[in-house]
Amino acid sequence: MKPILLQGHERSLTQIVYNKEGDLLFTASKDHIINVWFSSNGERLGTYSGHNGSVWSLACDSQSKLLLSGAADNTMKLWDIKTGECLKTWEFPTAVKRVAWSDDDNLALCITEQRSGYQGAIRVYEISHEGDCKNQPDEPINEFSPIGSKATVAAFAPLGHEIITGHESGKVALFDAKTGEEIESNERAHSGAVSVSPIFSFLPTGPTLLPQAKTKPQEYAEVFDVIFIAQADPLALKIHDTKNLAVIKTFTTETPLNSACITPLKPYVIVGGGQDARSVTTTSTRSGKFETRFWHRVFEEEVGRVRGHFGPINTIAVHPEGKAFASGGEDGYVRVHWFDDSYFRSRPYGDLEPAD
Amino acid sequence: MSDLTTAPAADPKSWADEDDDDALPKPTETVGADGIITIVEWKLDEDDRKVKVTRRVRRRLQTSQVSHIVAERKHWTKFGAEKGKAAGPDRATTTVSENINLKLIAGGQKAEPVEDEAAKAKATVGTKRIMCRFCKGDHYTSKCPLKDTLEGAGMGDLMGGDMPPGDDGPGGGGSGPGGSKYVPPSMRAGARGAGESMFRREDMPTVRVTSLSSEADEDDVRNLFSRFGPISRVNVVRDRDTGESKGFAFVAFESKKHAELAAQKMNGHGYDNLILSVQVLEPRPPRD
Repeated sequence: MKPILLQGHERSLTQIVYNKEGDLLFTASKDHIINVWFSSNGERLGTYSGHNGSVWSLACDSQSKLLLSGAADNTMKLWDIKTGECLKTWEFPTAVKRVAWSDDDNLALCITEQRSGYQGAIRVYEISHEGDCKNQPDEPINEFSPIGSKATVAAFAPLGHEIITGHESGKVALFDAKTGEEIESNERAHSGAVSVSPIFSFLPTGPTLLPQAKTKPQEYAEVFDVIFIAQADPLALKIHDTKNLAVIKTFTTETPLNSACITPLKPYVIVGGGQDARSVTTTSTRSGKFETRFWHRVFEEEVGRVRGHFGPINTIAVHPEGKAFASGGEDGYVRVHWFDDSYFRSRPYGDLEPAD
Repeated sequence: MSDLTTAPAADPKSWADEDDDDALPKPTETVGADGIITIVEWKLDEDDRKVKVTRRVRRRLQTSQVSHIVAERKHWTKFGAEKGKAAGPDRATTTVSENINLKLIAGGQKAEPVEDEAAKAKATVGTKRIMCRFCKGDHYTSKCPLKDTLEGAGMGDLMGGDMPPGDDGPGGGGSGPGGSKYVPPSMRAGARGAGESMFRREDMPTVRVTSLSSEADEDDVRNLFSRFGPISRVNVVRDRDTGESKGFAFVAFESKKHAELAAQKMNGHGYDNLILSVQVLEPRPPRD
């Protein structure tokens, strides 16, 4: 495959997301700008400018009409995807680290950083789709601060009644979206991560995206409704059940991980990483391991690698139909990889593979 | 008068600016008659020298069926930094990288495949280089204290069996710890001996063309014979001093079938008032 290189950012990438159909790719970086690209040919459709700090997080609604972004300038912004116009800005006392939409596009959440006397908080907003969408509520319908370790990532669970959070201590928790009550938690999901700040990548996947297994229904029944968390330390990534947060699969690696996603259509997990940005200059490029790795979701083994980035891979997104994946690195480049036919044909485990 | 005074300052293309190394020429695209597009780009290499990159590409239109919303989005007008720009990817922001192979193999990849082996090889070479061939001690063979006693007795056996594999000589050709050393092509495994030519003329089925007009050059001969099949090489024999054609030429085809066809069809063919005589050359027996 020939990757398409997108050079729209001057600083490292923080998050990239596809829209629901996979034809648009949104990229956010520390250079304050959000870009949107046509994923098929790498043509840039436009830029969303208005943030005054590193853009930490992006979320695109299912209709590809509204884009949420959270940045280090203590704001969350709502954008009109088609025109690039900023529709609404919410201001907070601290930086916004994560934003997310619910499945029905009616709710949006944001996590604000814990800093300078302010607790880290999760706020849930009800987004109105009336008219030009400029008339949005200023106050959240719900605001809560998780007790203990601060939350770094969050997303709505399938159906949008609960919020799943990943915490700095390695804890994974489930909150009620309406009341903020903690329903379930798995304190020891990722152990020993207290001292480092783990970078979670967090992906709820719906049943429709997973292969409809014919031969091994048991194996795959478990994988329905899972979240996925990659963690910087102790170098393991785990797939959790979204209902009870139990660990379903564990993948251990030797390099720090920054981002991961589950591929639809094929039973893989794409993982991106590399060492810490701060230690890059002290090691040779060869030992950097700036490769995207493919792990088999069922057999928990690495099956392939894709190289290309000159720095750690910060963020990975997979095409919603499983035809492509994109990776954004510390080097400021986004690489869009459309899979070859051989990817779809290959069955590395032969008959042990689930049927397509 | 005002023209004279203002012109040098206002003209951005004054001769003084022409040598400006920072400004690389803009990439150009020309479409040839056969539909092949030639793209000329300029870039700076590691030593800040200008490098011209010429790529010849053929564009193929790919159509795909997409849903209505996706098709509609394709016609959205650009905004932000892209406002007013033409449709299609901008070369400043979008490039296509080199091909990457993704092979999916079961069984788990090695933790550190390349670096590990290289490091290990280096380590073993490092220690083996200073291993005594007689007593296997940690010193050079010439400095072995048992040199005199062992040399006469069992040196041959020791040499045969216990040498580190990488020191077998140049025949190893790329494998083993000694692999990083340069081995000339003629010494590599599978080479046919010294002086192997790059072109390997003998292998190509060649026809000899005589009674050729002295005005015919390589291109003419190539035009004449290319209809029979792909040609690997055309050689019109010329006088060494005057450069004038001696009236015969050799045409090497890629396949014997084409060479035979060419000889059959072109023998007796009239060309520029002369009747060509074309024969297939018999492969020369290998030189000793």
